[in-house]
Amino acid sequence: MTAATRPRVVPQPKDARGTSALGDLGMSVPPPGERPGAAAPRRWTNLPAAMGAALLNVATHVGGIGILAGRLFTRLLPLPSRRFRPALDVEVLMKSLHAAGNRSLPIVALTAIFVGGIMVVQATPLVQRYGATSIVGWGAGYAILREIGPILIALMFNGRVGANNTAELGTMVVTEQIDALRTLAIDPLGYLALPRCVAMVAMLFGLTIIGDIIALVGASLAAGPLLGVGTSSFWNGLLAMLDEWDLMVGLIKSIVFGVVIALSSTYFGLKTSGGAPGVGRAVNASVVASAAGIFALDFLSTFALG
Amino acid sequence: MIRTVGLGKSFGQPVLRGLDLVVPKGTLYGLIGPGASGKSVVLKLLAGLVRPDVGQIFIEGQDTTKMGELALQKVRAGIGFQFQNNALFDYLNVGDNIAFPLRRLTSAGADEIRQRVAERLARVSLPGFEPRMPGGLSGGQRKRVGIARATITQSPLVLFDEPAAGLDPVTSRKIFDLIRDEQRATGATAVVVSSDLDNLLATVDRVGMILRGALVFDGTPDEARAATSPAVRQFVHGLTEGPL
Repeated sequence: MTAATRPRVVPQPKDARGTSALGDLGMSVPPPGERPGAAAPRRWTNLPAAMGAALLNVATHVGGIGILAGRLFTRLLPLPSRRFRPALDVEVLMKSLHAAGNRSLPIVALTAIFVGGIMVVQATPLVQRYGATSIVGWGAGYAILREIGPILIALMFNGRVGANNTAELGTMVVTEQIDALRTLAIDPLGYLALPRCVAMVAMLFGLTIIGDIIALVGASLAAGPLLGVGTSSFWNGLLAMLDEWDLMVGLIKSIVFGVVIALSSTYFGLKTSGGAPGVGRAVNASVVASAAGIFALDFLSTFALG
Repeated sequence: MIRTVGLGKSFGQPVLRGLDLVVPKGTLYGLIGPGASGKSVVLKLLAGLVRPDVGQIFIEGQDTTKMGELALQKVRAGIGFQFQNNALFDYLNVGDNIAFPLRRLTSAGADEIRQRVAERLARVSLPGFEPRMPGGLSGGQRKRVGIARATITQSPLVLFDEPAAGLDPVTSRKIFDLIRDEQRATGATAVVVSSDLDNLLATVDRVGMILRGALVFDGTPDEARAATSPAVRQFVHGLTEGPL
């Protein structure tokens, strides 16, 4: 028997902490206070500490999303190592465009037509009190194009496409499909995340245009029976008093909201851990974070865009 | 040849504590040990999916712990990996799952890919399963598809993580026979982690046992069965009395 093939019995290392063999194998759990890395018990009476912890948590996620954005951006660059092409899988992009766009169209259309109607219903008491029927088209158009259309369509998109993206990526993480991609020398960010993000931003933009049109049609249809404003009168008022910038403001916002949903849903999906409950938590965090981001950036962009 | 030197990894608590492992080239190597002893972590470290805290990993003389992500991708392209829960891509059918490595890592044409996928499926006793979706397969069928995908590129290094977990004895035996036949046919270096000791010891050339994050035994299956170390003896023979 040669030295190389001789059986080798290596002395078992003694546990430095002197715990039992059962403890070594990770089968015993020490009390929380003694567990390495265990968080201190929460004291909700300590408000500044709780607020600080919450802020740190938010900062961690915002920082993580920022890092993800940077990494995705580098994959969009046509680098020499990729033969001057972005690391974007066209086949996955096409599937993602279909999933994010085509399949979202019915729910966006349904939302939009009611949004238009709601605008007129809400305006009805004021318009009737002051007899301002000539500005119904302008009022509905201004609110829909600049604010209500982009934000409500983004929220619907977040609930449908963003949540779905987080759930899919999270499931792929916990079932080791992301690791399987890496063992096949495939970059998961370029192969999975980038096409999904590009598709989400592009499709929210497209859906906002379609949704705006449908919402305006809904508003014009509601204006007749509720206020006695004819279709031509509605559209004349709208076209005479609104300009291209009103449309552009809403479309720029839709791109901002698309980026928020894409990055947030991808970040929380790729950060998933803890099996099926972890996927649920990731989806929850993603939807809440995206919605909060949408409102915060809507506030800022409304100031910035005028 | 695979060699690890002083490999250490901790996930909050230490999992590996100075693992020194040598897998000679062309060997079918079995890795055994109690649950949560770090066997699967070793496979993920070898594949570069997890970075070690300390220590070095040499694959064909190259220290992969010093490599960047781009260089690691090239190393991974030469590794087949069958995951514990198979990690089949849910959005692809069986045929596309198995063809995936060929499409991504080789310049094989569509006809050749179709032919090799059909041959691989026949090898794992699933002929004609190409259009089926992973969600509609039984546990054993998913295992076999996972093995077919891990072996289709005939990589020089193949890692199997619990290839027979949850399978009936007959299917389990077939899976191990398949792994051995594949390894013999390609001459690849293969590392198999399994809790099915009877089948594993009947299949592999050498076996190593991990306990408390370190390698406590390395030898042939016969030597493992005849081991005098109390822990190795207890584990290999499934005894209830002993240090474990």
